[in-house]
Amino acid sequence: MDDLDYFWTEVAAGDRDAFARWVAGAEPLVRRSLRSFAAVVDAEAVLQEALLRTWQVAPRFKPDDRPNGLLRLSLRIARNLAISERRRVRTVAAGDDDLEDAIDGDAGLGDRPPTDPMLRHVIVECRDRLPERPRQALAARLEAAGAEPDDALAERLGMRKNTFLQNFTRARKLLLECLEHHGVDLRSELA
Amino acid sequence: MSNPSDPPGAPDPNEPIEESVAGAWRPREPGGGVRFHPGWYDLDEAGRLRAFDAATANRALEAALDPEGLSATARAVLRRIRRG
Repeated sequence: MDDLDYFWTEVAAGDRDAFARWVAGAEPLVRRSLRSFAAVVDAEAVLQEALLRTWQVAPRFKPDDRPNGLLRLSLRIARNLAISERRRVRTVAAGDDDLEDAIDGDAGLGDRPPTDPMLRHVIVECRDRLPERPRQALAARLEAAGAEPDDALAERLGMRKNTFLQNFTRARKLLLECLEHHGVDLRSELA
Repeated sequence: MSNPSDPPGAPDPNEPIEESVAGAWRPREPGGGVRFHPGWYDLDEAGRLRAFDAATANRALEAALDPEGLSATARAVLRRIRRG
């Protein structure tokens, strides 16, 4: 994978656009590192908080001579947050060793650039072929980008929440099938 | 999870909760911190893992559809940063 520390100087200087580019590359690996905690903490909440804290501490971060120093820092922040939240919810987590393996391995982070134009072309084509209601549910989630709960999105579309969620599930299933039909196996890339 | 007595192909009653948890929206603490999704507490461990995997797929699709390669998670974090 590319060295995301390429963006570090600008991120440390408070450049939000540079941080956006860093997040586009770092998010999948930080998320994957939280899988061993996913049964005992809400990994999405932990991930968002970890990325925010990475931004906050980036100006004080000193890179070493290894690549992806800021990413490694973000992985440690995410792990520590997950451990802290695990204690808070008072449940038993998977072994920390599993998480260390995920962090040390940098395993499986796809080399496909997030803005791969060919992938985007194919997925846009697949999206445009979706039936109307699943396409509407997908579009609502994409437009909201995590800013609104599903019941608000469902209400706007005139759907019950469960219907909205079932339409979204169908949209994802059809998109993944369409991508596979075009030779893009996103399921195996995510495994 | 499906009940063994459900007919084949019957919808999983937990699925809408899992799909909701697989979204990027999260409630906020009064001070701005992120809270767990309320539905997450209603899922058993297997359901939480399925929600995690669905979220991973969702974020990948969102990033692939986004001109800047940003998922809804990235957009949510950047929104918080821009609000200060």
